[in-house]
Amino acid sequence: MSARRIVITSGKGGVGKTTTTANLGAALALRGQKVVLVDTDIGLRNLDLVMGVEKRIVFDLVEVVEGRCQLRQALIRDKRFDSLRILAAAQTREKTAVSEEQMDKLIGDIANTADYVLIDCPAGIEHGFRNAVAGAREAIVVTTPEVSAIRDADRVVAKLRERDLPFQLIVNRIRPEMIKSGEMMSADDVAEILGADVIGVIPDDESVIDSTNRGEPLALDATQRLASIYAKIARRLEGDPVPLTDLEAPGFLTRMFSMWKQGAALS
Amino acid sequence: MSELEVSVPNFEPIEPAVVPPAIPVPAVKLGRAIVITSGKGGVGKTTTTANLGAALAAMGKRVVLIDADVGLRNLDIVLGLENRVRFHLLDVIEGKAELDDALIRDKRNENLHLLAAAQAREKEDVDGAEMKGLVERLREKFEYVLIDSPAGIETGFRNAIVGAQHAIIVCTPEVSAVRDADRVVGLLPSDWSPELIVNRLRPALVRKGKMLSVEDVNAILRLPLLGVIPDEPGVIVATNRGEPLALDASSPIGAAYRSIAARLAGEPDEAPTATPRTGGLLSKLGALFGGAGNS
Repeated sequence: MSARRIVITSGKGGVGKTTTTANLGAALALRGQKVVLVDTDIGLRNLDLVMGVEKRIVFDLVEVVEGRCQLRQALIRDKRFDSLRILAAAQTREKTAVSEEQMDKLIGDIANTADYVLIDCPAGIEHGFRNAVAGAREAIVVTTPEVSAIRDADRVVAKLRERDLPFQLIVNRIRPEMIKSGEMMSADDVAEILGADVIGVIPDDESVIDSTNRGEPLALDATQRLASIYAKIARRLEGDPVPLTDLEAPGFLTRMFSMWKQGAALS
Repeated sequence: MSELEVSVPNFEPIEPAVVPPAIPVPAVKLGRAIVITSGKGGVGKTTTTANLGAALAAMGKRVVLIDADVGLRNLDIVLGLENRVRFHLLDVIEGKAELDDALIRDKRNENLHLLAAAQAREKEDVDGAEMKGLVERLREKFEYVLIDSPAGIETGFRNAIVGAQHAIIVCTPEVSAVRDADRVVGLLPSDWSPELIVNRLRPALVRKGKMLSVEDVNAILRLPLLGVIPDEPGVIVATNRGEPLALDASSPIGAAYRSIAARLAGEPDEAPTATPRTGGLLSKLGALFGGAGNS
């Protein structure tokens, strides 16, 4: 068995990497896949909170890399699914405690025990980013329809291209009413600027905040509208051509932002 | 293990910023260098930097904003100055440009200036000592030097705090943001007393018990409260347009930033307002932070 090794990255922080990792992992597990979620945000871990396993961490990623425990001892089994496991990041260490080679080997070892390894990348493009990407063979870039997030995603996309890492895009926190009134870019606008294929479009939904605070991914609650959206992204990831949810009106901001991008490319 | 025990054995202690010695010659009164930081990304550091800068400048203060997010700059966009960036911070440090040539004057207020970050460089290219020297030079020219920190606690964060004497911590009412903010406070020099801005508060959600209250957040962080900013989709529009809301007389967010700026400048109009306390979520935080939330 060798899993798909997918890094969830963005450049900008706070756009939904950890939320996406948790929910996509849960959605894949619901579909019977064996999934391991890896938090690579050493020093600022949060995936454990979003998954509600923060009190069950015994060993962390750095301890596995340093050989202080077995990999299987450090993998926390989700209480809701046997097929979903989490590897927490160390909280009191630095990102430089792990090298790119060590991370690649670690993710390779994990991949032998699963169908999907989802790697939650830290914000930024420093050492932590390079580590997270080193273990991956493909990427999901999460962005929001804001100029600042798209600019950062553009930088990340360039770095993924340098590494020949294939990637797809999730446009998060879309507000259809703001797109209609011309106050927000549509997912199509964002995809065009970044030159990427969209694997998911997720509406802004305030229940995410409560879900994070409670440690219960929304993907597991069938009454939540985001649950079906994450389920569709999971199916697309598996290769099933499910049409995108129609959250977008035709965007007329595209031209303005492609002009901006030309300007930015010159600097 | 309690999350409050952030002993950080491997993190190099950060030297407190040098306070200018009391020299007998008529000294230039140095400005205040304040870093805006958070740990977690996307909680509003850049928005806060831009709005506090705009509000302070509108009060007649001479202000410079430094974007310390080398490689992922955004402060220029939020201020609408992205087409005016000719030189950046690394150009100045490396002697490729004069400081005065790299300072971009705001279109709206001549008291407000921006020093942009390099976009095509790495954070590791910035030397901490040189960054500190640059901030000191700016303190001679400006009353306020606001430094917009990158997310995280890596090299970029350390370079952002190295020249500052004071920190503003921006946090949203989410357990993940609170945990990251707590970690960052533990990494700041121990003689600092950072102040807190709670951003993106939705009082209606707090009342329903679906969001942490300001008191919940500060039961953990225990920092002097500088201000509370309500959540409002207008921020997205303002960012895309490059128009800080602090300059919009009708925006509640703008008003919140203006009163924070007044407080920062020692000209407070009123004390920061908070929201009603709620029970449920606090217990989660308390458990997470080893009981600190129950006190």
